[in-house]
Amino acid sequence: MNAGTSFRRGWRANRTLFFFVSLFVAVGLVIASRTGVLRPLENVFATPLNAVSGFFQQLSVRFSLGLGDLAEFQTLQQRNVELEEALARLQSEVVDLREISNDYARLAELLDYTTQAQAQEFITADVIAVDQRSSLRSITVNRGTRDGIAPGMPVVTPQGLVGRVTEVGANAARVLLITDLSSFVSARLQTSRSEGTINGQVSGNLLMTFIPLGESATEGDIVLTSGLGGNFPPDLVVGQVTSVRTAELYQEAQVRSLINFDTLEIVLVMTNFQPIDLSIFGQADTGN
Amino acid sequence: MGHWVSLPILAFAAILQSTFIPQIRIFGGQPDFVVLFVVCWTVLSRLEEGITWAFVGGILSDLLSAAPVGTSIVGLIFVVFLVERLKGQIVSINLFVLFGLTLIAVLIQMFTQMIIIALAGFTIRPLEQFFYVIVPSLAYNLAFIAPAYWFIRRIKRAFTPGRRTARRLVIDP
Repeated sequence: MNAGTSFRRGWRANRTLFFFVSLFVAVGLVIASRTGVLRPLENVFATPLNAVSGFFQQLSVRFSLGLGDLAEFQTLQQRNVELEEALARLQSEVVDLREISNDYARLAELLDYTTQAQAQEFITADVIAVDQRSSLRSITVNRGTRDGIAPGMPVVTPQGLVGRVTEVGANAARVLLITDLSSFVSARLQTSRSEGTINGQVSGNLLMTFIPLGESATEGDIVLTSGLGGNFPPDLVVGQVTSVRTAELYQEAQVRSLINFDTLEIVLVMTNFQPIDLSIFGQADTGN
Repeated sequence: MGHWVSLPILAFAAILQSTFIPQIRIFGGQPDFVVLFVVCWTVLSRLEEGITWAFVGGILSDLLSAAPVGTSIVGLIFVVFLVERLKGQIVSINLFVLFGLTLIAVLIQMFTQMIIIALAGFTIRPLEQFFYVIVPSLAYNLAFIAPAYWFIRRIKRAFTPGRRTARRLVIDP
């Protein structure tokens, strides 16, 4: 038996030492990862994992949607009839709105005014992993720094706001969902223009808080981003109010996103929006 | 061999965790196959192999999550050492023992993750999360521990030819 083998056996026999060494290494990894020291290594190991995960994610979403369609076949038939009626009604509205839009375009041109919505640029990304564990709600997408993705960029779908990019690798990015407990979005109600803050809930729903007392907030109101705080551009759809309750100092509204975050397949990353860092004002105040 | 076989099995479990499993969630809960496989392998093997499984499983889970790498490993190390300590005092592994180990393992893993995530600057709501996430997750994991043990025992036997090291699951307590 050589000295190396006997040393290994000796320290393995000391369970307490083995435990603390393992724990020390694990905590070291957490600290190194949090401070970004491990980022290059994480990118190297995450690349093949993300590729396989992306394949499985597409399979699982297809499987889930297929099962859902089968289970809801009759409901879907009824829904189809309703939607056809709605389509006919909306088509007539579209004609009216197109007229208004043409008027607006002419006036905007006159004023040399370009809305922010018209200037938005997007990159399409496939969702390759979903993390909906107890304390974090995030997704991973197959676009990264090589595609021009940067932290802070908003992520949307045609149904509304999904979240914002928090970490970026060479060819993958992590998006913190708006349903996460740590997510706060400045929002306003479309009809009354009342301001509030959207916060993720443990249940995965959204809660709009700090709506001033006396302001109108009703079920069915559409909630949009307000652009306050500079983290998101204004007028992105967040969801729809499902109920309103009055607290002592403000009103609170339960908001349902139109997005099913578990079956997200494709998202759009808004690449030309730069979040505004307001912390510089805080530093200036401290300096004075 | 037990060290190397952990990689494909746990990679499969971690990928399953972030793709198929979110589709079958009830409330906020879902089974955690990485934890279940680590518990089962530790029951059936030596401590060093359990630790390898904890590190490999933890790293793979965290690479597919927004949590810092290592978040899952800390809880799994506690789990592995506790299982190792408890299994020395147990005559045979039966369903009740597996249920007990799973209950403890899942609680340790989830609370450890919550603490680390809170320290990393994310928001947590322990009480709400306990009822909405942890309790349904416990139910899920208890439901899946027997098939997970059966699967891991077969893998273990396949990779240890000629040795009957795997402990049989006795259904009657």
